[in-house]
Amino acid sequence: MNRLGSLLINLAFYLENNSQYKKIKEFFYNLLENDHYRYKKYFDYAMIVIIISSITIIIEEVNHPLYYWLNIYDIYIVTTIFIVEYILRLWISDDRRKIIIEEFENSVFLGTRFDTKKVLKRIWISVKDYIFSPFAIIDLLAILPAYREIRILRIFVLFRAFKIFRYSKNTIQFLEVITSKRTELTILFLLVLFIVFISGVSLYVFEAKTNPNVHSLLDSFYWAFVTISTVGYGDITPKSTEARVFTIAIILSGLGLISFFTSIIVSSFTEKIDEIKEAKVLTRIDRLSYYYLICGYSHLAELLAQKLKNEKKNFLILETDPKKLEQAQKKGYLCIKEDASKKEVLEKIQLKEKVKAAVCLAQNDIHNIFIALNIRSISKSVPIISRTFSKNSYKKLELAGVDYIVSPYQTAGLIASKIITQPIAVEAISDILSKKKNAVCDEVEVLRNSFLENRKIEDIELDKYRLILLGVRRIDEKGKKFYFNPKDDFILKTGDLLIIMGYSISVSHFKSLVIESSLRYARFRK
Amino acid sequence: MHDLENNILLIGYGRYGEKIAKFFEREDIYIVEISQKNLQKARQDGFEKLFLVELEDDEALNQILSQKNFSYIFCALDDEEENVFFTITIKSFDKKIKIVAICESKESERKLKLAGANKVIDTMEGSASKIFHLIEKPAVMEAIEEILFEDEDIDIREIEIPPNSFLEKKHIKDINLKKLYNLILIGLIDKERGNSFVFITKGINHKIDAGDILVIIGYKEDIKRFIKDLKESV
Repeated sequence: MNRLGSLLINLAFYLENNSQYKKIKEFFYNLLENDHYRYKKYFDYAMIVIIISSITIIIEEVNHPLYYWLNIYDIYIVTTIFIVEYILRLWISDDRRKIIIEEFENSVFLGTRFDTKKVLKRIWISVKDYIFSPFAIIDLLAILPAYREIRILRIFVLFRAFKIFRYSKNTIQFLEVITSKRTELTILFLLVLFIVFISGVSLYVFEAKTNPNVHSLLDSFYWAFVTISTVGYGDITPKSTEARVFTIAIILSGLGLISFFTSIIVSSFTEKIDEIKEAKVLTRIDRLSYYYLICGYSHLAELLAQKLKNEKKNFLILETDPKKLEQAQKKGYLCIKEDASKKEVLEKIQLKEKVKAAVCLAQNDIHNIFIALNIRSISKSVPIISRTFSKNSYKKLELAGVDYIVSPYQTAGLIASKIITQPIAVEAISDILSKKKNAVCDEVEVLRNSFLENRKIEDIELDKYRLILLGVRRIDEKGKKFYFNPKDDFILKTGDLLIIMGYSISVSHFKSLVIESSLRYARFRK
Repeated sequence: MHDLENNILLIGYGRYGEKIAKFFEREDIYIVEISQKNLQKARQDGFEKLFLVELEDDEALNQILSQKNFSYIFCALDDEEENVFFTITIKSFDKKIKIVAICESKESERKLKLAGANKVIDTMEGSASKIFHLIEKPAVMEAIEEILFEDEDIDIREIEIPPNSFLEKKHIKDINLKKLYNLILIGLIDKERGNSFVFITKGINHKIDAGDILVIIGYKEDIKRFIKDLKESV
């Protein structure tokens, strides 16, 4: 083992065991690459401002002499920032110490010599992979304009503009779409090269001596490209009959190439349209603090979505059938064409962190059971509500982890059984549940220090607020208990939920009074 | 329903009919089906008064209807269009027969009402409301379930005020049903103000007359005591 080798190994293990180092690296990773990191967007905005300022300075420089400090800013400060960013990105792009450790462990395991050359080669490959990635190239080109002495490099300032793309997710997606058609675009590029070459050479052969505008082979290549791209400036035109006949053929092939190019771009977008839409939905979800998940856009889901929308609640629909998905999209709901019974889908939508409750409304019980199991495998706590079709599925759904099972058939039976003897009562309850007449049932929590705490029911005088108390739900050591129509001397405790009924305006008024009284006390204490 | 002597005709023993039938006494219920398979199932479940009718065989249906005086007819086939068809057929025989029909969408609800159904149960709308409350206000839904279905002792009832009872000519704010009977009054139909149900929380001080209908929630015993007192005060 040579000295360089042992130095590398020592360094790698030192870094591996240094938590400070890892923390710093993670911080920079979050800042530069992690879209979920809160401060990344501020960093992005700052970089965009720097880029725009640099471009503005270049434009200003064309006609006016630059102020001394502006020049300093542009050449040294901006460049330094870019260089630091470039190095940081190179640093975080891979954990290279792991390569050394892995090789070292392998050599110990196999009893062979630690091969320093091989390790360095692997590290170089990892570095090279990053350097030659499209964004790294742009980053590097954006640093170059610092050399003001070479005139052509000035144009690379514009690459600083390209750098803006890095900080916007949409353009990254656009680039991804284009790169997904790499093979087709390469073929197209070769074809263009070929035709430009052939036609450029032919024009040169035909007219170099006779046409005063064709000075060199470069001129004729320029002409060929202008012609096949159908731009046709007309600064160079073929004069001889042979060349003109030939030009007709070039123009025709040019038309073909242009439509080929267009079709590649269009088809790649249509292929990726779902992904693009999905990415949009995912970014919107990212901004929400919580939302409800609806799996399957059935008729029942449609009604539920309408209700949630009326209440301005956020929800996401997962549906695999394109027709139904389109219906949901038309209504402007957040929806993704994905199967909720797949694990990676639920991870992607941040089920564990953001879903407040999940509703399974697929077309059959088998699928609902699948979805429920999948959700439970990821989150133990999120409430799951499922529709059921057959009474045989009750037990299975419960086993799969569903908290509430809703059966439209069961509900219909219950309503039907009461509707004959108690039609008005049934209507009243269904009015409350569907909010038809603006009468609602709601829960009001007894907040700490609010005027409800430790008070007797009769002292609150709910009828003064035009509310009816149906009951109180209390959670204590024994679990949840519902006290129906509690007696007047029932004393309320913090955390109790009052189940009240009344018109929505009275309910919200009462709720705000409770919150206010609790807050006022807190302020008073301060 | 024990206190109801009348007979009930249930059309359809599919996914809906099966559940509805469960809530009634077996002797009270007559089942009409268009599918042999479903009828077979009804027989296995212990129902005896069963009829197989072709969808467009009006005479057979009319014969069944004329046999008995049905107080209510449920149209609870799984297919919405068939429900509309049966509703309109029965109404064409006799406009006075009360029909409760099951549907799954607003569109069918409209059609059933046009066809003359007295009550339409939109099961999907109901289920959607239920799910909405389950995720948004779970405590409310649990409370309502408890009151309506789970706690056998609690009932929601509508009570018609008999003439000359002790409540007559009294104003609603002057009587405290909670103090007297431990009952919650949620609303009423005040005949003076039209035939529609008004929630008590609207804050109107209704005057109670004979024929008004109160909707109350409470323990069954309390309700019984209240009804008894109402009758005895006549």
